[in-house]
Amino acid sequence: MKRLVAWVAGVMALTLCAGGASAELKGCRASRALLDLGNPLEIARTAVADERQLRIVAMGSSSTQGYGTTNPHFAYPYQLKMRLEEAMPGVAIHVFNKGIGGQDADEMTARMKADVQPERAHLVVWQVGTNSAIRRIPTDQFAKRLGAGIDIGKSLGANFVLMNLQYVPAVVALPDEEEYARVMAEVAKEKGAGLFNRFEIMRAWYQDGMPYSQFVTSDGLHLNDFGQKCIGKLLSAAIIDTIAPKQLTGAPITPH
Amino acid sequence: MAVLPVIASGRDIRLDLFRGLALWFIFLDHIPNNIVSWLTVRNYGFSDATEIFVFISGYTAVIAYARMMQREGWVRAAARIYRRVWQLYVAHILLFVAFSAQVAWVSIARDTPALIEEMELLGLGQNPYQAILQAALLKFRPVNLDVLPLYIVLLAFFPFVLPAVVRWPFGVIAVSLAVYAATCHYDWNLPAYPENKVWYFNPMAWQVVFYVGAACTMLGPQFAWLDRFRWPLSVLAVLYLLFAAFIALSWQYNPMEKLIPDWVTRNIYPIDKTNIDILRFLHFLAVAWLVRLAVPSNAPFLRWRIFEPLRRCGEHSLQIFCLGIFLALSAQVVVGQNEDSIVSQVGVSIAGLLIMSAAAYGAAWYKRGPAIEDAA
Repeated sequence: MKRLVAWVAGVMALTLCAGGASAELKGCRASRALLDLGNPLEIARTAVADERQLRIVAMGSSSTQGYGTTNPHFAYPYQLKMRLEEAMPGVAIHVFNKGIGGQDADEMTARMKADVQPERAHLVVWQVGTNSAIRRIPTDQFAKRLGAGIDIGKSLGANFVLMNLQYVPAVVALPDEEEYARVMAEVAKEKGAGLFNRFEIMRAWYQDGMPYSQFVTSDGLHLNDFGQKCIGKLLSAAIIDTIAPKQLTGAPITPH
Repeated sequence: MAVLPVIASGRDIRLDLFRGLALWFIFLDHIPNNIVSWLTVRNYGFSDATEIFVFISGYTAVIAYARMMQREGWVRAAARIYRRVWQLYVAHILLFVAFSAQVAWVSIARDTPALIEEMELLGLGQNPYQAILQAALLKFRPVNLDVLPLYIVLLAFFPFVLPAVVRWPFGVIAVSLAVYAATCHYDWNLPAYPENKVWYFNPMAWQVVFYVGAACTMLGPQFAWLDRFRWPLSVLAVLYLLFAAFIALSWQYNPMEKLIPDWVTRNIYPIDKTNIDILRFLHFLAVAWLVRLAVPSNAPFLRWRIFEPLRRCGEHSLQIFCLGIFLALSAQVVVGQNEDSIVSQVGVSIAGLLIMSAAAYGAAWYKRGPAIEDAA
């Protein structure tokens, strides 16, 4: 064991001269139209402008939890926090990660109140749909649960952004995955929620020739580091564009 | 009382060689976007170096402790296994500290809070006391620190299976498969930190690789029986490997991916790693079967000098494993600093393998002579 200690210490000394990291995400892109959330997110916007803070609950399953990443901080919720802080200096950004792997819309609706209320969220990003599609939950039941979940969150005073399914081999192979995506868009419209169209954004990556290995882990289902960071970056851009468009041009937020 | 089977003495150098290879692969695969990792198995099929490492660990655990149990009794063997478990635990904690220290050092020295944000070990920043406690309990395993805890749990349970595996290897395989099936079916896993997380390598599923490896040690002579089906089995294995290679390469090349019919994708995905999907396990078994036929334990090339670094790394697997995981993080930082340049990827890969080999030679020199006692 002493040998081991000596080695690790020695090697640390050798390697600690390293430093820095590039956060560049080559190939991470989405068309402007795909980044339109389709909702003004009034509550979130007001919170940023008046309270100088934004409280976000990231509700979801394994994507939210960060399964498949080499570091949970690469998962989109933390990336969102990082990028919002960067884009809106002086605004306190809180992102509460409520991801539990394997859950579907039913299970998340059941804990919506308990997870959103104590955080006093202005915005709930709800990543959902994949597990419901894999479990073949009938789409009308799925729509009903989704709507109920949004209603609970809205009654607690939060805006919603739904994040739909990921475009990965295990999801694409399902017979009716697009039906779930369509239902989510419908429910979002009907309930006044935003929609972050992860499915189409990722499909565009694939159709542009990006291989699955670049953004999916070897299980064919979960996003890897690149996939998560890129989704985090694009989601942040979509939210910033919606609630603080000036920030994109670099102009400072005008204090009230 | 039945006569206990004799466990072969002497070191099967195939085990050292392939475990060394697995350790090299694990190092190369843990450097993100590393062009050199094209040399590793995971690009050409479902299973990767983890299966090799766990299987050989099960295999060598029986070699190391079964004879000890027969000569000195179960209590002594169990005590030695727990001494090994303790070493693994200490190594894991040391690795955790070294990891955290490296991230902190780099961030402070370079004044790059962005790196802390990128690399920050979840929880360590927000709730360090809790994170340290959970790390000590093996529930908090940031970044790539998942394999040793798996190994610790597997080995901690091993004393209770050891007497059974030397007498009834087929029985152990049957029970192991049953536990594996039940784990997948009921979605069992061990709790982790932060809350609601689970073990990335589920010990209750991955035990199947370990115990099939352990049983294979005892079944050596009986495989002659399987050899009657050598040809059909080999043909099946080759066909399956070709299929898996096609699928794995399709992740890299979209035109290949488009050739795969929907009914195939629908049935194979997801190819779970946490609960070692049956496709992964079968893939490993097919590889192992073909390697067994292609590489007899007395194959001359095993002793070629060019493979000596691999064998040395395999002989000192715990130290080299820890070193490799640590070096992979350093390599990641260096590659990131050089904007993912291919030269830096190749450079850190070669440097890392050289350091690992040098360390293994150092360990061999220190130990003077073949290492037997800590072989598992």
